Amino acid sequence: MNNKIHVVSNAHLDPIWLWRWQEGCGEVLQTFRSAVDRIKEYKGLVFTCSSASYYKWVEEIDPDLFEEIRKLVKKGKWVPVNGWWVQPDCNMPSAESFARQALYSQLYYFEKFGKICQTGYNVDSFGHNAMMPQLLNKAGMRCYVMMRPGMHENAEIPENLFWWDSADGSRVLTYRIPCSYSISGKKDIDREIPMLRERAENSGHGMMMFFGVGNHGGGPTKGDIDYLLELKEKGYEELEFSSPNEYFEEMCADRLDLPTWNDELQHHASGCYSATSLVKQLNRKAEFWLANAEKWNTVSAKLSDLPKGTEEFGKAWQEVCFNQFHDILCGCSIMEAYDDVRDSMGYAMKIAAVEENRAMLKIAGMVDTWLDGVSDSVSLNERHHCRNLKFPRPVIVFNPNSFEVETNVRTYHPSKKVEDSDGKEVIFQNIRSSRSNDSHLDTIFKAKVPALGYATYWLWHADSDFTDESVLESDIKAYELTFENKYIKAVFDDKTGGIKSLVTKENGTEYVGGEFCVPTVVDNSEPDTWAHNIFKFDKEIAKMQLESIELVECGNARAVMRVKHIYNGSYLTQDYILESESKLIRVKCRALWQEPLTILKMPVTVDGENPISTYEIPVGIIKRPCNGEEEPALTWGDITVGNEIRKGVSLISDAKYSYDCPGKTLRLTMLRNSIFADHYSDRPAADFSYCDEGLHRFEYAVYPHTGEAECSEIQKLALQLNSKLVAVPVSYHKGSMPQKKSFISINKPNIRLDAFKFCEDSSGDIVMRFRETDGNAVRTAIVCDIADAGFYADFNKFEIKTFRVDSEGYVIETDFLEGIVK
Amino acid sequence: MKKPYKLKPHICRFCSLYPLGDERIPPELMTYKNETPDLEGFPYPLPSKKSDYTCFARTGDIEWYGASTGLTRYDKNAERDEDVVMYFSADRDLYDNEIKAIMPDGENIWVLTATGAAYIEMKMISAEEKALLLLAESEKYVDRRGMKSQKRLEKLRELDSIFPYGHSDNDGSFTVGFSIGEIFRYATYKREKGADHPDTIEARKVATRAVEANLLLLHVHCRGDGFAARTYLCADEPVPDDGLFLRITDNKAVCLETTDSIKKNLAGKVIDASAEIPERLAKLFTDLGYSKNDLIYKADTSSDEITHHFLHFLIAHEYLACDDFELDELIKTSAKSLMAHIIDHGYELHDFTGEPTSWAKWSTRYFNTEFGWVDGALNSAQLLMYHLVTMKITGEEGRWRESYDYLVNELGYADMAMTHFDRLYQASLSGDYDFVEDIMYGDHMLATLAFWGLCVLETNEDLLKKYRYGFKAWRTSIEREHVPGYDLPYAIACPDEEIDLDRIAGWFYRTNCSRLAAGVSMVGRHDVAVRTRRNGYKEISALMPPDETFISKYDRNPVEYKNEDSGGTMCVESCYVYTFGYWLGRYYGFFE
Repeated sequence: MNNKIHVVSNAHLDPIWLWRWQEGCGEVLQTFRSAVDRIKEYKGLVFTCSSASYYKWVEEIDPDLFEEIRKLVKKGKWVPVNGWWVQPDCNMPSAESFARQALYSQLYYFEKFGKICQTGYNVDSFGHNAMMPQLLNKAGMRCYVMMRPGMHENAEIPENLFWWDSADGSRVLTYRIPCSYSISGKKDIDREIPMLRERAENSGHGMMMFFGVGNHGGGPTKGDIDYLLELKEKGYEELEFSSPNEYFEEMCADRLDLPTWNDELQHHASGCYSATSLVKQLNRKAEFWLANAEKWNTVSAKLSDLPKGTEEFGKAWQEVCFNQFHDILCGCSIMEAYDDVRDSMGYAMKIAAVEENRAMLKIAGMVDTWLDGVSDSVSLNERHHCRNLKFPRPVIVFNPNSFEVETNVRTYHPSKKVEDSDGKEVIFQNIRSSRSNDSHLDTIFKAKVPALGYATYWLWHADSDFTDESVLESDIKAYELTFENKYIKAVFDDKTGGIKSLVTKENGTEYVGGEFCVPTVVDNSEPDTWAHNIFKFDKEIAKMQLESIELVECGNARAVMRVKHIYNGSYLTQDYILESESKLIRVKCRALWQEPLTILKMPVTVDGENPISTYEIPVGIIKRPCNGEEEPALTWGDITVGNEIRKGVSLISDAKYSYDCPGKTLRLTMLRNSIFADHYSDRPAADFSYCDEGLHRFEYAVYPHTGEAECSEIQKLALQLNSKLVAVPVSYHKGSMPQKKSFISINKPNIRLDAFKFCEDSSGDIVMRFRETDGNAVRTAIVCDIADAGFYADFNKFEIKTFRVDSEGYVIETDFLEGIVK
Repeated sequence: MKKPYKLKPHICRFCSLYPLGDERIPPELMTYKNETPDLEGFPYPLPSKKSDYTCFARTGDIEWYGASTGLTRYDKNAERDEDVVMYFSADRDLYDNEIKAIMPDGENIWVLTATGAAYIEMKMISAEEKALLLLAESEKYVDRRGMKSQKRLEKLRELDSIFPYGHSDNDGSFTVGFSIGEIFRYATYKREKGADHPDTIEARKVATRAVEANLLLLHVHCRGDGFAARTYLCADEPVPDDGLFLRITDNKAVCLETTDSIKKNLAGKVIDASAEIPERLAKLFTDLGYSKNDLIYKADTSSDEITHHFLHFLIAHEYLACDDFELDELIKTSAKSLMAHIIDHGYELHDFTGEPTSWAKWSTRYFNTEFGWVDGALNSAQLLMYHLVTMKITGEEGRWRESYDYLVNELGYADMAMTHFDRLYQASLSGDYDFVEDIMYGDHMLATLAFWGLCVLETNEDLLKKYRYGFKAWRTSIEREHVPGYDLPYAIACPDEEIDLDRIAGWFYRTNCSRLAAGVSMVGRHDVAVRTRRNGYKEISALMPPDETFISKYDRNPVEYKNEDSGGTMCVESCYVYTFGYWLGRYYGFFE
């Protein structure tokens, strides 16, 4: 029996938490210096450290120190772990974010140290999504160290060494730290070592002990090292300085039969999925914008002389990855840190905006939009091009998604008629603009745009006398408190402001089974920012009071019901938008919130038996019991009920990550107004700042469906809500490309394109990343003419695959590291 | 059981190849001119690079594109996704891959390439017709005294150049696969057509001969101690320098000189061979004029053979020997004898040396070795299956039950049977390779047979649960293959598990009507992504249809990135890869 205790020296470094990043950077420099000195002083000592971003700081600020570390890494005295940019939150980043965490970090490690990290290492992250084994495997890591949740939070998870499997078939050998990642001082060590010895004896396998001053860095102290050496001398012969890599190698060689876990690792800090809405919204927006902008950069650079944006996108993604650090994205850092986060995410999104705009205009410039005679109409009397009254103005609509999308898009001028590139009229509507200037009207029109492609629409100006009024009929009807289209009908309640009936017309199914879209205020005074030791937010204080409800729009393209609720000095205005031929209701929200220690939740209740809640997680979905515990999710959550005939309602969001589901009610957690970095609610009397205080603008959607969530269109609709069409007004010009074009074809609806980019090695090869969304293994055909590529790929359920296409169109399947690391 | 999936007649490729100068090539083909195809915006992946295509032809709604790297068939109206674009390549479908011209001939085409011509016909054929065509080919070309593995050819693609002899290490295993397929054909016909129908009678004859050929391997060594030979040769067959062979003369068997026997210092070793071979089984060679003194058998038998034999005992007993008392008795005595040998030798198969063979070990002393630790998951399941089969077919418990209970309760074999994926994965971690790089593809059949037997025979709910778990532990690797021969037994053993019958149907549809190996072009295909595993092993990212990949038995990774067929290009393989799955599926009602 192997009862060795691998003593791992490390330093937990929070780059932001109760301090700003500048202080975190200093903390990293000091810790690294100290660790190098200790290694030199103590033969046999090995230092373990994660997070590529820290190494990069050191390389840039103290190259001499970095050089010393390089030498130590080569000798095996310093062990980089966790091939990610930071130790991120492991619930809220998207699959693509996890891919980028790995890409930029492992390539950095490979470049600087000649090898990548073998072991994943997120010792402080507050829970781990169920697809982590795949995300680690595809980053080149097959072993994992984590700590939260601890045994006291989830005793079902095996302790301490186990196989962790994800639904796609990936697996990591996982070690759960039994107590702490930063043991320091005799008292801690004296408590820890006997406990580890006992566990080693009981389990029949070795254990790891992580020592070193942490959180604000520090690392192994002389005192701790000396004491550990003394203990070894005194009879604890099983103690040995080691690293996680060495530990796992030894465990594999030991031929153990270990337990297997095939679920997520939750919960530790259930408040973190909702604390500080700002960072959540920035994260979601940046993730989609960057991924989409990079797709357009790649398309455009293949078609034209537009420079590849690889380096710029790398910089932007590194900012996003940094801000996914668990104490940042989880919203539990100090207020001032979020000023930095806003700037940092702003920098990232500015890159996205610039690159996207440049790419789209470049592509648009190649589209033939010329109309004979159009130049004759331009005169000095026209204030700007868009007011050409003799000819329709072209608008090119871009779709970043890998499936065809048909939905309303908006331009900022009124129109008289809208036609597609075949001259066929399309549904449109002039709606109230956000400006008080000019016509006060914008146009929305129904655009149908192919996968990763564009379509050109022609908008006749409202003042044009060269065309007849549109005569198209629409499926939209609205009257008083009701609106409907061909798929759904909703009736609002004039007392609560909620929805009192929601029916899908195809089968007449009623979905409202109780409280539905009535904003609810919940007490948040007991939980700290993390909600340590609290897993349910169920103390309802009040329903928000209905102030007004009004049908503010009803046209061909959509109907809008505006509902305003108030609570004390706060308000929530919701525009419920039903588009023509849409299967969901979008809700644009504006909330001014100034209620300390409260939570705002939006419930939907469906009546029926056997309720199951389903949520999107990175590269997959998960089903959870409807027990009222607060749960993390990506873009949507769902409640489905019934016996043989099942029905459900999904809530999709463009900025939120937290839900609960007590019984048959699913509730989106919209706001959670905690004190910044309120740790275990130790609150002196003070005028605190609150992390969700102020004005919030976000969007969610209500989607009724029959059958299970994964059999519905939820994945596609959620993607549409977060990854919207972009309408670009363009000029009249000749061009080589048609007015409508797709740049990719995927023949299976459950395969989605996440990344379309140039390879990081400057080869010019294109990297495409796809994932299976519905939990069904499938063989798919992918065709991408601009890459001269067409190939088949088999996907396991919820599998993410990365392909690299060379200049001849030959394809290799690789992983997040793009085939650069051999 | 779900409603049976209806297998419809489906197109199958028949390619006749001619060298340049062959008078059967129409002269007009030599000067035929094709246009270059316009493939701009082609909506599907193409096997060749677009710029490689130079020839275009049409037969009805079907379009043909010739490239410097093979031939592509495009049927935009095809019902099934995988049939829309088909690929034809050398050496199996074409003489070489450099297409010079494509000339329509009604629905068929002539294809001129740099060194020859091909006449390609796409014929509609039912899944059953295909099974019978494949059977006929195996009977004519592959059969060796009832055993069916493969035969080597002297000339590429020429069946008539077949060598009359040739053994396989796994003649027993492969013949069992064939035999089980034919037993289920018999059982299916008996149910559907009646016992006296000529087709049923013919099927019974084929199945019976295959069963006898397998049983003979358990007696051919004349040791009389329950041993099983790998295979045997007759006096006029050359003895290959491959393993350990013993020649029987005058009730003695002497170990022949081979590299292996000399290395192990076994050449010339003599053992007793006085046991008699049951007359009914001996007829397989005596009818050809051989006697016991003409026999040379191969030793060092593996657990592969034993596992196949035991499941074969069960199937033959249940579905064939129920109508043949004499055969049933032979099955029972063979099973008991083999089972007793294994138990008596500490759960090992002992060779003429008195030591265990290299690979037939189910003992804890083997499992406690580094290599045996990984094998333990499979071998424990095998051994438990042997016990259940023996009890089932003999109706006896006694020492079999005692031994089974000991294995389960004292040695923890039922628990060990659940650990396959864990142990294999752990081994791959410690060796720093991907676990798929260490998959023994032949083990998939062994696991399928072992757990199929365990799951249908075990009545204890707790143990059944463990065996089903154990079977599922294999699916991570087995499922990658999408082979009916694995998926159907899994569905029988684990009825709550879903299998993709439509995908299985596609496998039947796209399997060729011949097992004549000749090599195909996989390397360099433009529509196939390639993946290099951690230790350098190359695979393709999508399982391609069987008629576009190499021909192999149940022992090869079907997504391996290679051109060559499993047994090399000069070979014709047994039909059982198809017939085993097809008749099993038919009998159990998966298909109609």
